[in-house]
Amino acid sequence: MAFVRPLFWLVLTVPAVGMLLGLARGSVLPMDLLHPSGEMSVRLMVLALLPGPLADFFGHGRFLRVWLSARRNLGVAAFAYALLHLAIYCIDMGLLAAIIDELALPAIWTGWVALLLMIPPAAISFDSAMRSLGRRWKRVQRFVYAAFALSLVHWLLLDWHWQPALIHLAPLIVAWLLRAMARRKRAFERTAR
Amino acid sequence: MIRTKSALVASLVMTAALAFASPAYADGNVRCNAGSTEKWQKIDRLKKKVWMEGWELQKMQVEGDCYEVYARTEQGQAVEAFFHPVTLQKLVVFRRGQEIYRAPGFGG
Repeated sequence: MAFVRPLFWLVLTVPAVGMLLGLARGSVLPMDLLHPSGEMSVRLMVLALLPGPLADFFGHGRFLRVWLSARRNLGVAAFAYALLHLAIYCIDMGLLAAIIDELALPAIWTGWVALLLMIPPAAISFDSAMRSLGRRWKRVQRFVYAAFALSLVHWLLLDWHWQPALIHLAPLIVAWLLRAMARRKRAFERTAR
Repeated sequence: MIRTKSALVASLVMTAALAFASPAYADGNVRCNAGSTEKWQKIDRLKKKVWMEGWELQKMQVEGDCYEVYARTEQGQAVEAFFHPVTLQKLVVFRRGQEIYRAPGFGG
């Protein structure tokens, strides 16, 4: 099974390679890649956030076990795409002064804060940190919820199209509702006993 | 139980927020009422308009029934401007999703 993880990462890298090739060949402008790189980061965040609540509802079957084991990789990949998104933004803006100048715009600072919030969870995404932090590890990972919410706000404020943001949020809402139902059922069974 | 409820409330609030966050000033839905494309001027004519604004042109495209221009102002601000395809009038300008200019009387 040792080849699975590199293969998984190879697949995750494909979109980034496509973007960078397009940039190198000059077939796309940096500004054209802002949307796809940001969207990719959000999608990976959704994929990282989904298996937890789904496993609470459906139980730890084989499929969800595999998905759960890939969760940290998905999270780190989401962070990597967020960094790529930032790099593309910096190339597009060109001047540091221009970046600083628009830092105070709501559509921009929400993106920055979302990225900053992803740093702590991403920085402790390895086994030894997980072991040594114990319960606190999970607490830090929850920063991702805030990062995800801010990413959607960032997207919404730039585009003013609420449908794409909603489409990315919808599966999570369903998963969270299922988890809430599972918890409610469990709490009910406990009190009934 | 408290957690369940707060999770439910949070998800509902987020859905509602997103549903109602629909555009007060949606740049995605600018309508120029430009009519049939036969009467449209060539998009390349916009280059001069952009130059006259003092902007640095990045990209021009057709968006809905408008001409859309991505550019940098003299101050280095990233702007997204919509022009009427027939009159080439500058109708509305956005900076990172915020409206910074609207032509008098333009309601699209």
